[in-house]
Amino acid sequence: MREIIPNKDGRIQVEIFPSRLLNAETAEILLTELNKVEGISRAMIQGPRLPRKVYAGPGTGEDVRHTARKVVQIADTAIELSISVGRIRLDIADADVKEEIRAVCEKILPFPFEYRTGHFFHSKATVSDYAKHGPNANPSMLGMMDPKANVEDQVCILGAQKSD
Amino acid sequence: MAYKAQYYPGATSVAANRRKHMSGDLEKLREISDEDLTACLGHRAAGSDYPSTHPPLAEMGEPACSVREAVEATPGAKAGDRVRYVQFADSMYNAPATPYFRSYHAAINYRGVDPGTLSGRQVVEARERDMEEVAKEQLETEMTCPGLSGLRGCTVHGHSCRLQEDGVMFDMLDRRRLVNGTIIQDKDQVGVPIDRKVDLGKPMSEAEAAKRTTFYRVDNVAFKDDKEVVEWVHRVWELRTRYGFQPKN
Repeated sequence: MREIIPNKDGRIQVEIFPSRLLNAETAEILLTELNKVEGISRAMIQGPRLPRKVYAGPGTGEDVRHTARKVVQIADTAIELSISVGRIRLDIADADVKEEIRAVCEKILPFPFEYRTGHFFHSKATVSDYAKHGPNANPSMLGMMDPKANVEDQVCILGAQKSD
Repeated sequence: MAYKAQYYPGATSVAANRRKHMSGDLEKLREISDEDLTACLGHRAAGSDYPSTHPPLAEMGEPACSVREAVEATPGAKAGDRVRYVQFADSMYNAPATPYFRSYHAAINYRGVDPGTLSGRQVVEARERDMEEVAKEQLETEMTCPGLSGLRGCTVHGHSCRLQEDGVMFDMLDRRRLVNGTIIQDKDQVGVPIDRKVDLGKPMSEAEAAKRTTFYRVDNVAFKDDKEVVEWVHRVWELRTRYGFQPKN
């Protein structure tokens, strides 16, 4: 088995890669269960986009109303899924949390998935990050979103009200 | 002895399916009405006449020409139809057709068609009624699985994505979806809503798709397992390399 190499701060990053694109219901259940696991500090979901409107071709401007684009409730936060979930990357505390997450995935996903450790969030600001966020960017936001997008549109801070 | 075209080498199921697509010897699996097809294509209102771009050839008084006499015009050209297109995307997860084999099917079996082959989609341009004939055959036969293939005039994204949980190829514009075991399309190929729900039929099971596919895949029939195909591909590559080697001395 390959050795898990933690980051400089001692944390581990993992990626869940299901063999199928998740529908909104499965994604909601999986994200809700992952939210209950202690020791996850950051999570990023990625997958093919579900646009609101047709953006190319003769039908440009028509409403898409994709059946997979739904509002999912994770703890006390409602999130509109604008993608079909195909990949989840997590920043976690240690190897015990990793095994706990694997057990959650095995319980919920009805098909095989790849589960791997690696460095998925970048630790230094790229030129794009610098151009978007300036020299004093929050390091925990690096690699969490498309640099062209607004933070409010793509980043949710779960339990923020509780900690305030 | 009459010559029998051989089309494609190989002894595997994938090679046999490729021969079927090229020869047009296809099993019909479903029925799609002309009006439903017209609605899905989205070029004209279902049930309306074909708009024309020039008068019928019979009324035009064509010049004396031996080629025109030797080659009969297609029905669409005779009537003066517009040139219109049909475009398909096929999933890499064992969809029955690949873009190249849709093109071979159209080019070998139909006249007056202009197939275009791209990595993830395949387009056929032809006079409107000729194009509809090609589209109808491809949609109704084993060349298409409604779950793993789709009519996509634009935003074809999905052919190389993982399948959705329900086994259907991802479609960003949600033109068709699985409803009660069949695929229902309620938008035309460019994502504009249509006035009907077209039943495209039941998607193939994983086992049936694996049996009918023309994709070589390591998790089904691997390309390297088809010795005769590998031999012929090597031969073609060698000959075209020799042909391309033209030292200027």
